[in-house]
Amino acid sequence: MIKRWLSHPFVDLALKALGRNRLQTGLTLLGMTIGVATVLAMMAVGAGAQQSIEQQVRAAGLNQLTVRAGNWRPKVEDTGEAVAHQGDARDTLVLPLYRGDVLPIAFHPEDDPMEKHDHPLARQRLGDLEAGLGSAATLTFADAEAIKELPGVQYVAGGVHENARVHVGGKRWFTRMHGTDVEMPSIKRGWMLAEGRFFTRREQDNAAQVIVIGQIVADKLFGPGARAAGQEVTLWNQPFEVVGVVTSATWVVRPAPGDDQFDAVYMPYTTTHRLLNLSKLNDITITAASSGDVSRLARDITMLLRQRHGIGDDQPDDFTVLTQATKALTTGGLPPSVARAVAGNVAELEKVTLEQLATTLERASRTMTWLLAAVAAVSLVVGGIGIMNITLLSVTERTREIGLRLAVGARGRDVMRQFLIEAVTISLAGGVAGIILGVIAAALIARTLNWATVVSPLSVLLAFGVAGAVGVFFGWYPARRASRLDPIVALRRE
Amino acid sequence: MSLLETRELTKEYRVGDHIVHALRGVSLAIDAGEFVTIVGPSGSGKSTFMHILGCLDRPTTGQYLLNGRDVSTLPPDELARVRNEMLGFVFQGFNLLARTSAVENVELPLLYTRQGVVRAGDRRKKAMAALEAVGLTDRAEHHPNQLSGGQQQRVAIARALVADPSVLLADEPTGNLDTATSHEVMEIFARLRRERGLTIVVITHERDIAAYGSRTIDFRDGKVTSDVHHDQALAEPSVR
Repeated sequence: MIKRWLSHPFVDLALKALGRNRLQTGLTLLGMTIGVATVLAMMAVGAGAQQSIEQQVRAAGLNQLTVRAGNWRPKVEDTGEAVAHQGDARDTLVLPLYRGDVLPIAFHPEDDPMEKHDHPLARQRLGDLEAGLGSAATLTFADAEAIKELPGVQYVAGGVHENARVHVGGKRWFTRMHGTDVEMPSIKRGWMLAEGRFFTRREQDNAAQVIVIGQIVADKLFGPGARAAGQEVTLWNQPFEVVGVVTSATWVVRPAPGDDQFDAVYMPYTTTHRLLNLSKLNDITITAASSGDVSRLARDITMLLRQRHGIGDDQPDDFTVLTQATKALTTGGLPPSVARAVAGNVAELEKVTLEQLATTLERASRTMTWLLAAVAAVSLVVGGIGIMNITLLSVTERTREIGLRLAVGARGRDVMRQFLIEAVTISLAGGVAGIILGVIAAALIARTLNWATVVSPLSVLLAFGVAGAVGVFFGWYPARRASRLDPIVALRRE
Repeated sequence: MSLLETRELTKEYRVGDHIVHALRGVSLAIDAGEFVTIVGPSGSGKSTFMHILGCLDRPTTGQYLLNGRDVSTLPPDELARVRNEMLGFVFQGFNLLARTSAVENVELPLLYTRQGVVRAGDRRKKAMAALEAVGLTDRAEHHPNQLSGGQQQRVAIARALVADPSVLLADEPTGNLDTATSHEVMEIFARLRRERGLTIVVITHERDIAAYGSRTIDFRDGKVTSDVHHDQALAEPSVR
């Protein structure tokens, strides 16, 4: 096809004409190449930044939601009283935010700092996070399937959670057991398999006795550095084959004893169901395709589940939808009293905080991409001026030829097309060379500066298209000039 | 009906403030198969007349009928079509494309036919046939800089022939050639007229070249001053 195109008389003509001024053509080509390469490389840098922001946002789980069975809320009077009795300086600061009539969500009474405890807090105890949630048996596998059908949902995994004692020979370790879905590794972006693999869909369908263990469990049972995959462990007096070891993929999170992800073991939830004779799910984990969509999805899931569970308008939910934002506030860094005040008082909290941060970052990086591309586009304009220059030169040099062509029957538009093809030929050739150079440049930037760069097919297509457009745009004027020549005047020109 | 007929052609140019009258009413009729030579001093209007005959220019007033059709008011694209289909040009300076082989030069008009671009194979075949008519088949792949002046002009004649026109227009075709070569070129014109019945109009200012024509027309100051038929077979009054 390319050969046929190249042998088209007008293209052939253009190539010949360009061959006549090799040096000028080469320099013009170089200008165009640099222009296209710059644009492409800059877009790659911008897109890379955008993607790494997106990835970090995902890794942070901002697009993650969890539905837990059951619904627990503290009594309003209790917390109100506690604040009145025992406000310290920190609490006073948050007091104005706190309104007693708003129900804080997702708290265990033991976590209330106003209470005096003589036992470890809930989250200080192994495998006892947020007790009270997930304990009611209200969620089913069918619920998970229904959620999967909602628009904007990326992955769904149902889970059953138990405490378990894992044995290997004489060693044993008390840890958290998660019966989960094969999609879990897609949801947990912060995961990495240190050894082996995750269990397969087939193993899940067969309720196979396979197990994936967290890094901490592997270290405790087999010793640090020892191979765990392929070994056998015992759980509930049943033998399980260890198929893989999960660990953290980011330096931000280091596996530590007592954590919920890596001091834990994972098996297909079907296996858990079979062995423990269960049929319900404790929770369902969902990721949204877009992190800005989490609030909307949380609302949709709430509505869907209320409908599926036949909950009347005046009845409370028999489940709890948690977004990463509310989870972060309740279990993470913030002092619980602050978290409670914030979570209790700001509707769609995650939307104004973490999600907004995410979208702002994404928007900022997109703006940066376009800004970089716009700056680079200046070099394309310079390249285009080069094309205009060489095409004008070509028209001037070949005025007699134009006159002759007109005399033998060429119309103005034939002449115009000829010079436009010439201009576009240079610009497209420069475009192709520029794309190659740009890809190389992007790879070099990624390698030497350690910046993430992404050359998307779209940006390559765009670069090629823009190159062609530059040829047409800057070739237009000289071509038009050529087409308007008077044949007699043109023929007389020396 | 004559093949070429002009009625009271005038052409005026504006040069600065004053108007140049290049043609001041030229009425001529040229029949198919005539070999007309046009002579006259510089500025006599013969080139302007030729440009109008060649549809490269349009008269200020008057009519030009080509094969009975008034082409003096046609739009540029239509004129281009007439040039492509009915007329062949030969220039003093040959006007061959450099770095382009003889046969490719000859193919040029075939790139602009209204039926669309002629297929490469057919183009080559027609171009070779035209080169054969001027006896240059063995030079088909030569570039202009490898050809003598006479050979270059023969390539140009082949180019004028390739689209099978009814009229050949030559503006001082021997102006850049030596005497012997000039005569060779004129012989070719004479032969083409004889063999193909082509109508040929040649501008020259050499009397011995003009003698090849069956008819010689003198121009002076934008007017025809004499119109002589040499060829008795075609001798009939055509000046009105």
